[in-house]
Amino acid sequence: MRGSFEVNVSRRRGTKYRFTIRRNITIVRGDSGTGKTTLYEMIADHTRLGEQSGVTVQCECPCVALTDSDWKSQLSAFENSIVFIDEGLRDLLSHDFAKAIEGSSNYYVIITRADLPALPYSVNEIYRIKTSGKFHSLVPLYVDRGGYRYSLYKALPKRDFDVLLTEDSRSGHQFFERRLRESGIDCEAAGSNANVLNWLDEHAEEDIFVIADGAAFGAYADRVFKIQGLRRDSLVVCLPESFEWLLLKAGIVKSNAVEEALGNPGQVIESSEHVSWERFFTDLVKKETAGTPFAYKKSELAEAYSVEKNAAKVMALIACRNVR
Amino acid sequence: MLNVYFGDMPDAIYNTAVYFKNTYRDQWITNDYSVRMIKDVDRSDVVDAGLIQSPVLGPITPLQLSGGVKTLLLIRFDRNHVFNASTCGDNCSKWILDMAKNRKVLINLYHVMDFGADDFKIRVVNSGVIAHNMAELIHESIPYL
Repeated sequence: MRGSFEVNVSRRRGTKYRFTIRRNITIVRGDSGTGKTTLYEMIADHTRLGEQSGVTVQCECPCVALTDSDWKSQLSAFENSIVFIDEGLRDLLSHDFAKAIEGSSNYYVIITRADLPALPYSVNEIYRIKTSGKFHSLVPLYVDRGGYRYSLYKALPKRDFDVLLTEDSRSGHQFFERRLRESGIDCEAAGSNANVLNWLDEHAEEDIFVIADGAAFGAYADRVFKIQGLRRDSLVVCLPESFEWLLLKAGIVKSNAVEEALGNPGQVIESSEHVSWERFFTDLVKKETAGTPFAYKKSELAEAYSVEKNAAKVMALIACRNVR
Repeated sequence: MLNVYFGDMPDAIYNTAVYFKNTYRDQWITNDYSVRMIKDVDRSDVVDAGLIQSPVLGPITPLQLSGGVKTLLLIRFDRNHVFNASTCGDNCSKWILDMAKNRKVLINLYHVMDFGADDFKIRVVNSGVIAHNMAELIHESIPYL
């Protein structure tokens, strides 16, 4: 499935929800008593009884709730639907569940506070419910404060950075290492997105600029932002969709396909082919640069990206203090 | 003191809403402490054991309380079980700390609940270490979540 879907859920007793689902995995969490379970139960009633439930669901595609403990067989019956899942399903935490989502034509709205590290979901698709009278909407839990820098608080870093931390030591790390060679900033690699938290925990005294793939960082966002909130003078977390997205956004590689994908990624990216936008943009940059001096490989970044004119365009998107 | 077990705990009650539905007692709802918890977390007023006035949903039964309040009530009144407190939002954390002031409370978490900026004492059962603030609690959670 591809595209964004506006969803309206209401019942005659007066409770109304209105929100837009933009990607294949959406997480809903936040305080207790905000109406998460009520939303799920309304969708579940509508799944069982349709309009006879007294619940009205308006959306361009079917909205259904996973209600059975035999979730595998129920899920196999859903195609091109938005599937709502409540936190009571213990198998949410399993690799079996993550496998079922990968390659699925459905979108998923999952109500849970568990981190779900097996699922590559975006930091931009984690929401809380905002209530105004009987009307409910979804609002992002984490806010881009500018330059793809996310934090729980508005404070800006007060010191220059000692370290730029990437997820791994592949192309993105190579880019920043080349760019910042003369700057006095050390480029370190955590090893994976899952290791960023551990790395930050072990380096509490340094001033750190973290850059990671926002499109697949959702599972780590909660604790990393909590740490950032405790060290807001010295820690910045920069989460563009992915390094490959940043290269394309900088305008280094131009084509109609790139322009279309950057303009409205949700309309272009088919969820059954790409479980996360990060993987889509990797495939796109590889395809669009094949046979050129910019030919893209994750394992080794072409020198053409690092020449001053091109590197400066990338850095302009994320510049912060001495990271530029 | 509050004790926290991070990650999968097979004996803990995971789906607290279903467990609450089948085990709660009327007096859990009308108890003074519960009335205050329900007012604070769900912003709802207990009328009697079977009726609660919600500002959003109107008159509701205890089964329509939030997942967080149901879990808080289970922690308060069912001392024979451990409950998945990841069903509780951060607005429940002060109540969990309060209930653990005078007795040992053990909860199961699949995320790091925000226990606030003040110092506290929480024993992480997985490691046996006592965390005194959020930085220490996050540090202790890393190997288990």
